[in-house]
Order: sequence, then structure tokens, then C-alpha cells
Amino acid sequence: MTNCSKARRWFGAYWDDEITQAEREWLEAHFAACGRCRADYERLARTLEGLGSLPRHEAAPDFVERAVARARRAAPMADALRQPRRAWASVAVAASLLLVASTLFAPWAGRGSRPTAMRPVVPQEARLVGTTQAEAVAVPPATGVASPSTTLTQDQVAALVDSLIDHTDDVDFVLDPVRVSREHTAGRRLQPVQGQHAVVTF
Amino acid sequence: MARVAEEDERAFSELVRRYQGRVTNLVSRVLNDRECADDLAQEVFVRVFVHRRNYRRGSKLSTWVFTIAANLAKNEIRRRVRRRNWFSLDALQEVLKDSSSVLADPTEGRERTLEREQFQQEIGRAITTIPEKYRLSLVLRDIEGLAYEDIAVVLGIPGGTVRSRINRARSMLKRKLHPLLRKEDS
Repeated sequence: MTNCSKARRWFGAYWDDEITQAEREWLEAHFAACGRCRADYERLARTLEGLGSLPRHEAAPDFVERAVARARRAAPMADALRQPRRAWASVAVAASLLLVASTLFAPWAGRGSRPTAMRPVVPQEARLVGTTQAEAVAVPPATGVASPSTTLTQDQVAALVDSLIDHTDDVDFVLDPVRVSREHTAGRRLQPVQGQHAVVTF
Repeated sequence: MARVAEEDERAFSELVRRYQGRVTNLVSRVLNDRECADDLAQEVFVRVFVHRRNYRRGSKLSTWVFTIAANLAKNEIRRRVRRRNWFSLDALQEVLKDSSSVLADPTEGRERTLEREQFQQEIGRAITTIPEKYRLSLVLRDIEGLAYEDIAVVLGIPGGTVRSRINRARSMLKRKLHPLLRKEDS
């Protein structure tokens, strides 16, 4: 490496005052001997002086007020985005859909026929929740009083719900027969395990 | 910042007041566009407020604010490059040629202050012709006066890379201003 290229590598550090005393002395001695490097460093120094002396672009007088107002407008949106989706929201939407669907398809259910020819397309969420609703309806209500909002029987509602679900991927299985059998005492003869039948809809 | 995170509006106003000048100057110098700089600087503070909970205590607040400003400035440069709605190198060379002849004219007797203003304008324009990654390092160091270590944090690059980028940017700027400097010498 020539002295000149070595000197040029130190220009930046010399400007930033980040070189050792020995390096500084060497460089200054080189400047005294080499007019070209000295002129080159002079140009760099004037460029950087010019850069440092650039007038500062100040913010507008109402900058703070505008920034605060803008941040206030933007913040609720961002906060809303960060909030996790509430589980009950999708359940409520699906329940509403189910209610509308049961009102619309009530005449079909009344005739005891399933609308198989024109199966409605129901969103995934609605179908999943429909399963829950079906299970809920399958349990006899404690009071035995029908809801005033509909005249359908339990079976009709169940059939309606069933008609809304795509059963192509259904899996039939018995829920935990082992657990059921363990409920019997050891000395007693085991009763035939009936199990609990369930259908899972995907 | 803790008070800003707790949605203390007065604390946020204070934060904006404290950094508005530096942020505005940074984006203005990087883009060489004062009108856009105001809007972009506003956006910086909106991001600061929106992401206030992401600020890690223990790190420098100024570094965090500058990181957001640098990222937004970078995005703006890239957007402008995509739209090709930006000051081209050819245009700069034209300006430099013109201004060189103005400065070279000894009969005009222009005042020194005018020359300096002219020179500063040319520097402002020349900065924008430097590639973005070098430009940001240069402005952060030689205009905003950040330490190399802070620039490394702001740009998310190693300290050695910061140094080499700044050296490169300075050389580029010197080369671009060379016609002006040479005329001034004579």
C-alpha cells in the first residue's frame, strides 16, 4: 500500500478525530509532503463542513398540535387491530345465521322433508356452531316450554340444523367406552357398554 | 416514554416537541423535499404513538425515533424511485454545470453569503443522488451528528458497515461536488 492510499483510508477517521496521536502525526507529515493528498483532504473537509453547516429545516409552528391530532385519530384503529377477536362474536354471528335459516326453511321442515335438492352454502363458522346448536337442542329442556319465537318442535329444529350441515366428511365413533366401563366396580359383572354416540362434523 | 405508553397526551406532546426539529430535518435532508418532509415527520410521530408499547425500556428513545424516521424515509425514497419521480443524476449534473459557471464568473461580484447559499443548495441536491443506504448513514452522521454506534442501531447494521458506508458516502459527495469545489479553489 502506498503512502497516499494509506493516507486516504484515514481521511474519515481524521475528520472524526478517531485516530491515534501517532496516526495523526504520520498523516500530517504526509500532508506536508504530498500536495495532492492535502488538496484532496481539503475538498473532503469543505464538503463535510458544508454538510454540517446546512441550515436546519425546522418544523412548522403547528407541528405538535397536528401530530397529536393525527396520532389520536390513528391510535384507536391500531388498538382495535391489536385486540384479539372475541370468540363469542363468531358464535353470535353463526347463531344469527342459524335463526334466519330456521325461519326461512320452516315450511320445509313442517312437511317433514329435507331440502336436499338445494342445499344452502353455509360458512364454515356457521356449520361448526350448527353442530353445537344441534347438540344443545338434543338435550331436553328443563322446563319443557317451547321458545315463543318459533313453533318448531325439537325434532324439526334438529332436522333443520342437520340439513344445513354437509355430512360428507362426518366421522362416527363411540365416545370413550373405556371410561364408561371403568365406572363399574370390579366385583360386579360388567354391563354391556352402550357408549355415547357422537357425530363430528368437519 | 413510559407516560406516553400510558396514553398521557401531554407526555406525547412533549416528546413531539423535543424531537420535531431533528426528525423534520433528517427526513427533509434525506429527501430534499420540505413539503413532503413535514408530512413524513408527522407520520413518524404517529407511528411512535401507535407503537408506543413496542418501545423497549433501556434503549435510547432518540435511537428508536430515528429508526422509525429512517425506515419511513427509506420507504419514501423507494416509492419515489419506483415512480421515477425524482431528481435524476443527469439533472443534478446540469445544475452543477450551471452553478459552476455562476460561481466561476468573477465579474458578477456576488456576495459570499449568496455563494454559500448556492453551495448549500447544491449539497442538498447532491445528497439526494447518493444511493439510499449511503445517504441515510451520511445524514445521520454528518448532519444529525449521531454516534456510529447509534447509527448502527438505527439502521440495524454492524458498526463496521456503518463506517464503511459513511466513508463511501463522503467520497461520493466529494466527487459530486468536485466541480464546485475546484471552481471555488480557483
